[in-house]
Amino acid sequence: MTDSKYFTTNKKGEIFELKAELNNEKKEKRKEAVKKVIAAMTVGKDVRYTSRLDFECYLGSFHPSIFYFFSQDCEDPNPLIRALAVRTMGCIRVDKITEYLCEPLRKCLKDEDPYVRKTAAVCVAKLHDINAQMVEDQGFLDSLRDLIADSNPMVVANAVAALSEISESHPNSNLLDLNPQNINKLLTALNECTEWGQIFILDCLSNYNPKDDREAQSICERVTPRLSHANSAVVLSAVKVLMKFLELLPKDSDYYNTLLKKLSPPLVTLLSGEPEVQYVALRNINLIVQKRPEILKQEIKVFFVKYNDPIYVKLEKLDIMIRLASQANIAQVLAELKEYATEVDVDFVRKAVRAIGRCAIKVEQSAERCVSTLLDLIQTKVNYVVQEAIVVIRDIFRKYPNKYESIIATLCENLDSLDEPDARGAMIWIVGEYAERIDNADELLESFLEGFHDESTQVSWLKRTDVQVLVNSFFSFPHQDSDNPDLRDRGYIYWRLLSTDPVTAKEVVLSEKPLISEETDLIEPTLLDELICHIGSLASVYHKPPSAFVEGSHGIHRKHLPVQHSSIDTGESPVSGGPAAAMDQPHVIPSQGDLLGDLLNLDLGPPVNVPQVSSMQMGAVDLLGGGLDSLVGQNFIPSSVPSTFAPSPTPAPPAVSSGLNDLFELSTGMAIATGGFVAPKAVWLPAVKAKGLEISGTFSRRQGHMYMDMSFTNKALQHMNDFAVQFNKNSFGVIPTSPLPIHTPLMPNQSIEVSLPVNTIGPVMKMDPLNNLQVQDSFKCGLPQGSVLGPKSFILYLNDIFAVSNILKFIMFADDTNVFFSGNNMDEIIKDLVNVKGLHIIYSSLILPYLSCSEIWGNASKTNIDKLVKLEKNNL
Amino acid sequence: MMISQLFILSSKGDHLIYKDYRGEAGSDVIDVFYEKVTALTGDQPPVVMSHKDLHFVHIRQGGLYWVATTTADSSPFSIIEFLNRLSGLVKDYCGSLSEKAIQMNFALIYELLDEVLDYGYVQMTSSDVLKNFIQSEAVSSKPFSLFDLSNVGLFGAETQQNKVAPSSAATRPIQSSRDPGGKSEIFVDVIEKMSVVIGSNGVLMKADIEGEVRVKCYMPSCSEMRIGLNEEFSVGKSQLRGYGAAVRVDECSFHQSVQLDEFHSHRILRLCPSQGEHAVMQYRLSDELPSAPPFRLFPSVERDSAGRLLMYLKLRCDLPPKSTAINLSASIPVPRGAVSLSQELSSPDQSAELQLQNRTVFWKIPRFCGGTQLSALFKLDVPGLSSASLLEVGPVGLSFELPKWTGTGLQIRFLRLSPVHPGPSQRWVRYVTHSDSYIIRI
Repeated sequence: MTDSKYFTTNKKGEIFELKAELNNEKKEKRKEAVKKVIAAMTVGKDVRYTSRLDFECYLGSFHPSIFYFFSQDCEDPNPLIRALAVRTMGCIRVDKITEYLCEPLRKCLKDEDPYVRKTAAVCVAKLHDINAQMVEDQGFLDSLRDLIADSNPMVVANAVAALSEISESHPNSNLLDLNPQNINKLLTALNECTEWGQIFILDCLSNYNPKDDREAQSICERVTPRLSHANSAVVLSAVKVLMKFLELLPKDSDYYNTLLKKLSPPLVTLLSGEPEVQYVALRNINLIVQKRPEILKQEIKVFFVKYNDPIYVKLEKLDIMIRLASQANIAQVLAELKEYATEVDVDFVRKAVRAIGRCAIKVEQSAERCVSTLLDLIQTKVNYVVQEAIVVIRDIFRKYPNKYESIIATLCENLDSLDEPDARGAMIWIVGEYAERIDNADELLESFLEGFHDESTQVSWLKRTDVQVLVNSFFSFPHQDSDNPDLRDRGYIYWRLLSTDPVTAKEVVLSEKPLISEETDLIEPTLLDELICHIGSLASVYHKPPSAFVEGSHGIHRKHLPVQHSSIDTGESPVSGGPAAAMDQPHVIPSQGDLLGDLLNLDLGPPVNVPQVSSMQMGAVDLLGGGLDSLVGQNFIPSSVPSTFAPSPTPAPPAVSSGLNDLFELSTGMAIATGGFVAPKAVWLPAVKAKGLEISGTFSRRQGHMYMDMSFTNKALQHMNDFAVQFNKNSFGVIPTSPLPIHTPLMPNQSIEVSLPVNTIGPVMKMDPLNNLQVQDSFKCGLPQGSVLGPKSFILYLNDIFAVSNILKFIMFADDTNVFFSGNNMDEIIKDLVNVKGLHIIYSSLILPYLSCSEIWGNASKTNIDKLVKLEKNNL
Repeated sequence: MMISQLFILSSKGDHLIYKDYRGEAGSDVIDVFYEKVTALTGDQPPVVMSHKDLHFVHIRQGGLYWVATTTADSSPFSIIEFLNRLSGLVKDYCGSLSEKAIQMNFALIYELLDEVLDYGYVQMTSSDVLKNFIQSEAVSSKPFSLFDLSNVGLFGAETQQNKVAPSSAATRPIQSSRDPGGKSEIFVDVIEKMSVVIGSNGVLMKADIEGEVRVKCYMPSCSEMRIGLNEEFSVGKSQLRGYGAAVRVDECSFHQSVQLDEFHSHRILRLCPSQGEHAVMQYRLSDELPSAPPFRLFPSVERDSAGRLLMYLKLRCDLPPKSTAINLSASIPVPRGAVSLSQELSSPDQSAELQLQNRTVFWKIPRFCGGTQLSALFKLDVPGLSSASLLEVGPVGLSFELPKWTGTGLQIRFLRLSPVHPGPSQRWVRYVTHSDSYIIRI
């Protein structure tokens, strides 16, 4: 007789039978019936009725008695029964009954049998999920904490697991009171408990911040043996702890280096599992390699792709291979990549070819070899290989301009076989870039132009940049007929440029291109550091922080790598406390040039500095999408600039006189010399950080007064005005005694010298003296051209221009605003226009006020008014 | 690591086992999972899939989907490891892994699930500890067969057959060994996986061996077992012991039940095996194989005057003459556009075929003795064959099985049980090397 019969019963009236059997007097029968119910539930049949009835009769009428039985069971001499009772009680997820649970649970937490205690520890977590308040009130958390010191490692592991989970919903409370004693207990339990318990304990350890490198080292020493554990999850958890604590160890110590060596074999061993495990391992190794490439630099061969690896494993391996590529192993890597490029799988082949290009860009010495490898591949004439190779060669040209142009002839031979937008774009770029060296460049381009309408947008953009350099007569053609507004707008921009000022246009289009970066898809360092803290978890597989995919119900607090403590505070430490605190946090604004944004600014100011369209992934999404929120209230860029002052944590003897010391002594009335040393002016705020405003300055003392001598230089393209100065509360109590004496607007390229008298009578901030000076500038309105926020605020300002008039129709493009006014015929239009007092009046009476009230200045020279009569529309 | 739900599905998506540990999601996610997993294409990593804020981690064992769900940022590694362990446990308890075995033993499996996980935390997965808590008896699906009687000689005499265990011997439930009639047996398997890359110039570019020693124990009361490895076995590059043909591995790891006090001096693993199957030791060797790679290929690829592609392949087996490779299959990628194949093979038991959709020629050799050489001539009709398409030939991949042979040379010197078991007990030691990826570039 087997249990499978429960799956086969499928009669009508079965539920009634079940009910009857459940109420049967014979124990055997009841057991059978329960099995049947479970089987039915598993298959997904609707047995809710029976089971609910079952539960109702248990929870309803026998309410008190069932808990009597439970608590009786908790007293049972057999520990198995006691544990079972506790476990079952925790599974009844009904809020009302929790109070009946407390007493038995409290007893079980102190039970003599470890099996009961470990079950009870988990039960606390269950209870916390149902009723968190009660768990705290009843003091179960303290009992849990006591269990960390339990003699049985299994109990410790469960207590740690339960506490870790509970503490996740209380991010601020220090539930898992990790102190050296507790850590010691955990480390002792680590050696004895089951593999799963070890994982809990290791994960918990990774949240601990050792106070110094000695403690970190001793923990590492005790964790290291876990690296040779057979369970790869234990290994990975141990790797996580070690990776985190490596941050704290001094880089030059012997132990640091031995530890690095010890980390490599277990990581390699992780790759011996099933493809699924390999994939997870590779995702983690990818992070580790980005953080500390030295661990695996000797092991590159392990990441060579096996022929029968699934494609997702192959791609991950390829990625890691490139990251590990260096001058030492590049020959080997290239030989492998060349092999891969002849494999069957098209996707993989493409990635392999791309990888060759990344090698060339990463390891300069190998570039020549890479190029010749690519040329070999082009000779195979396999279509997708050729196309991919051309894209890659374009990147190599960008990295090493004017170095390998001898191969262009070979590339041009393959012109006809290109049918993918990417490859065509790349080829056009190459032709455009090296137009002087290719005799028939314009013919080649012309042949591309014929297919213009069929091309995808991306190619067309690229084509534009090059075409216009050569023959701008082609140019009228695309911009008139193109449907794509973005493309057409771009056409307009270039067309205007070309028609008004060819010299500028040449400057714009042929301006220096940003060099291609060496590592293209590196994870941003702060994210990488956070992910390192999550090695082995889902976050490391998704390469996303947990906050991105875990429901926020548990307040996940971001984990950070520990920071190495050192006795001398060298780095710039942000001012803490005081009203200035919020402003002092360095706010990183993405520095990649938002090219589209620059184009947008074209209508607001003279276009001089528009960079070459060089980024392939440029999209309007970035511009129009997010980022607006970041604009609100943040139109200043704080930046901190180390001053020239010598670090003086303690007042230095006057002989070593630096500007600050002089100042300091003066304020205490102990001036020794007049006209002491004045440090030369140093750049406090470089122009790139402050949208073109450069501030350099120093402190000096004249006639017993302190002065802050500054020179302001406007390196932006617009004038600046409304200067003001404000000092954060500082440890010397320095405040300005008069407002900043700059009253005239600062014109572009103008610079102005000011001397600001300062005094030390201001409020003193009780803190260690800061050894650097932090300067930030703020802008009251508008943004200098070229700043990242520029285009966004422009859109923000202009977005409600619709509201100024209901006669006018506005069509707004990313970079251009057209005002339309339409009528049935010319006369009517003119009449209407006269009624509204003429075009210029419309402009000056409606639009200008609008603009000025939002403090935007229209650039009249860039505003053109066309009176083209086309059909029945007037284009204003 | 918090597992929210755990379920087992048949390959057709039938629900076999479903257990909810934390009440975070309904049982409807089972169907969501099945839809997702069947919609996966080959190039998508199947490991972690997400649905809303639920994440599925699954493995496939015995033709079944073993799935765990989680809502937190759990470790997929632990979950995969746990699922593998669970499937091992179920196999140990039920004898085999199949839809039928699971259906027949579902009560036992629910009982197991209750013990191994509590509120989603893994508690224990050692069959030794678990047997204290599991009350159900396993039901074996194996029908009574005359084959089982073949081990019993006439009048109960020991037969020669007794020396070789039937392959089914190792698939039976552990609990049945409680029965007095059950045989007490122990199997120690040394299994190695070999991956080799040989360059087009015949140079060995890469050679890795991943191996493990697996113990399968059906002893009702085995207190201690000692496994002696080769005495000259060494771990790590620096640790060469003496000279001569040392058996060396780069790295090895051990099951946590293994006592290593005698390992360093005498290369003896001491352990108290729990019932069921586990990997006692895992090891890895890269690059420096003690012997030559087992197979070498001498290819010549050319275009004949009629525009056909000629491939003349000579394959040599460098194993010692006593060893034999079985089920050898060579796959040779050929240029796209190949339409037909004609072949000349050196012996009649070999076969070859051209699979057009993979554009690959498969050359199958059922047995291949050490020290011998086989050859094959393939003629392919490829319309529009160019010299560039000759580059598309290769690399050749070999898959094979080498019974009674290990690439590292690891041997089990002895296998001692103490105290000596009173009843009849059987100890089996088996060796096998599989090809993981054996690539010869052309």
